[in-house]
Amino acid sequence: MRLLIVEDEPALRETLARQFRSAGFVVDLAADGVDGEFSGKEYPIDIAVVDLGLPGKSGLEAIRAWRKADKSFPVLILTARDSWQEKVAGLDAGADDYVTKPFRFEEVLARVQALLRRSGGWSQPMLKSGAIELDSRSQEVRVAGAAIELTAFEYRLLEYLMLHAGQVVSKSELTEKLYEQDFERDSNTIEVFIGRLRRKLDPDGNRQPIETLRGRGYRIARD
Amino acid sequence: MTLALLLLTAAGVAAWGLDSMYRDLGLRARQDVLDAQVIALIAAADIDDQGRLVPGNLAEPRLAAPGSGLYAEIVSSSGSWRSPSALGSGLNLAAVPAIGERRLEFARLADGSRVLGLSLGIRWELEDGGSRDFIIRAAESLEPWYAEVARVRAWLLTGSIVLGLMLLAGLGVALRIAMKPLDRLESQIADIEAGRRELLGFDWPRELAGVTGNLNALLTGDRKRLERYRTTLGNLAHSLKTPLAALRGLIECGHDDRESSLRQLDRMQEIVQHQLKRAVFGGTGAVMTDLAVQEPLEQLRVALAKVYSDKAPVITTAVAPGTAYPIDTGDFLELAGNLLDNACKYCKTEVAVRAMAWTSADWRRPGLLLDFEDDGRGIEPSERSRVLERGARADESVAGQGIGLSVAREIAAAYSGALEIGESRLGGARVSVRLPGR
Repeated sequence: MRLLIVEDEPALRETLARQFRSAGFVVDLAADGVDGEFSGKEYPIDIAVVDLGLPGKSGLEAIRAWRKADKSFPVLILTARDSWQEKVAGLDAGADDYVTKPFRFEEVLARVQALLRRSGGWSQPMLKSGAIELDSRSQEVRVAGAAIELTAFEYRLLEYLMLHAGQVVSKSELTEKLYEQDFERDSNTIEVFIGRLRRKLDPDGNRQPIETLRGRGYRIARD
Repeated sequence: MTLALLLLTAAGVAAWGLDSMYRDLGLRARQDVLDAQVIALIAAADIDDQGRLVPGNLAEPRLAAPGSGLYAEIVSSSGSWRSPSALGSGLNLAAVPAIGERRLEFARLADGSRVLGLSLGIRWELEDGGSRDFIIRAAESLEPWYAEVARVRAWLLTGSIVLGLMLLAGLGVALRIAMKPLDRLESQIADIEAGRRELLGFDWPRELAGVTGNLNALLTGDRKRLERYRTTLGNLAHSLKTPLAALRGLIECGHDDRESSLRQLDRMQEIVQHQLKRAVFGGTGAVMTDLAVQEPLEQLRVALAKVYSDKAPVITTAVAPGTAYPIDTGDFLELAGNLLDNACKYCKTEVAVRAMAWTSADWRRPGLLLDFEDDGRGIEPSERSRVLERGARADESVAGQGIGLSVAREIAAAYSGALEIGESRLGGARVSVRLPGR
């Protein structure tokens, strides 16, 4: 998942970035509204976390600009004061949820995951496709009721496919969304991880949960 | 001052109008007299042997007495006749009217007195069938009349001056009476500034009651805010003591217990957050303009529908048309936002908001009633007062419902209103806010 953080306070920005990276996100950073607006418009991000009190261009303006440019990724706003006026203004500008400062990272993460789930069309925290169940809160995966162990990258890969269940996801999209920008982009790596995921989800090879569409990408069926 | 000038002008204009009306009427009366004289002369006249037209006998005795002030003459090409009264008067009327025409003129006699003269041209039929033209003139001295006009004018002038002065005096007295409460207001405000008095008195005339009422509201609001700041500061200082002491203890003991230290920091952060929240809302008590509550409630409904889109509660808002209340927009959003947030948090599927005006005979402006209802588990009667009290002091506060409710309660209190928890007809909790009118 590719996440954009727009936050002017360097300490908070770096902390959030580190925490989100360790939670498996690919993180883009912007220190002000102008930068933020550009990143949101130009990069294929899945979700943005925006501080409303920014120097230069305000967070509100950046959100409005994204929405005007038909960018529909979910936006979580960080409001400095617990002020309903600010919250209402932010949500009205096109944000989808808010967290008030000070916050615990777990709360921000939970909100971000919920927003991602919702933008994928899932209303429950439990994502299901056939026998596969993925709990986005506990990050547990079960196949036919039995828990299976996935590495962090395998989990992120499966989560991305399941959040976009029913859609074809290309290899380049996966590279973009699951790797940091400067990472070497080798689509073979994705193929290798898809192969490992298939073996773990379907050791007997009779369910075929991940479909390959030659030249286009992968797809997980939606229930 | 302007009023006084206006009054004086009005008196002057009235006097001038009366004067010119009197003059017009007088002049017309003089004309009628002269006309009658001329007609009487014609009636009494006949041609004498010299071919002159001469009145046989003078019906008007004034024409016979010299210097009487009434004069007549009949002029023709063949000679003229003059009344005995005109003898030596130097009467010199010059108008030569055509036949049947009347002409008026002002003239002066030899002694300088002014007369008004009327000349009438006539054609006299002779017995031999011919005719001869005459001019019949009558004149009357204007001096007696002018004297009268002067007298009337003097009266008018004195009258209007007296009237004007009386009006001015009356105005002065009326102003003094009207200004008396203002003087009192001024001295009371000075007393408040000097700290000798807390609020303005209450026995004001109707015209001032609005202003003094608003001023009192402003003063009360200010005092409440000051008290709130003091309490907040006190609470803040007091409530930070405990975690500070704990932190100091941890450091002094040389414990490297990051988790405990962080917990204390979190606690302090929470306290600061809580107190900030309480201090930020205005509740300024200043005289505010009416806020139509429909729009902010709708904004909140849309915003919360977004935030709770997983749960997707059905939020219905019923606002009586035109419901408005003098409250700061931020305060209103904070009050309604916290309560609506709670309702969404605790509901199963349904949330209902109602807003309407609340009237009382004592108020010139209505109060506001807000109801927030949900179909959740509700709040037990025994819990209700505790839930409202929670968070009243920061060091007792817990994140969650307590803060939202207590913040809402404090905002309501800042507007002299109250919060009440009851049962909803939807099955869950009902939180009612009553903000009084003024």
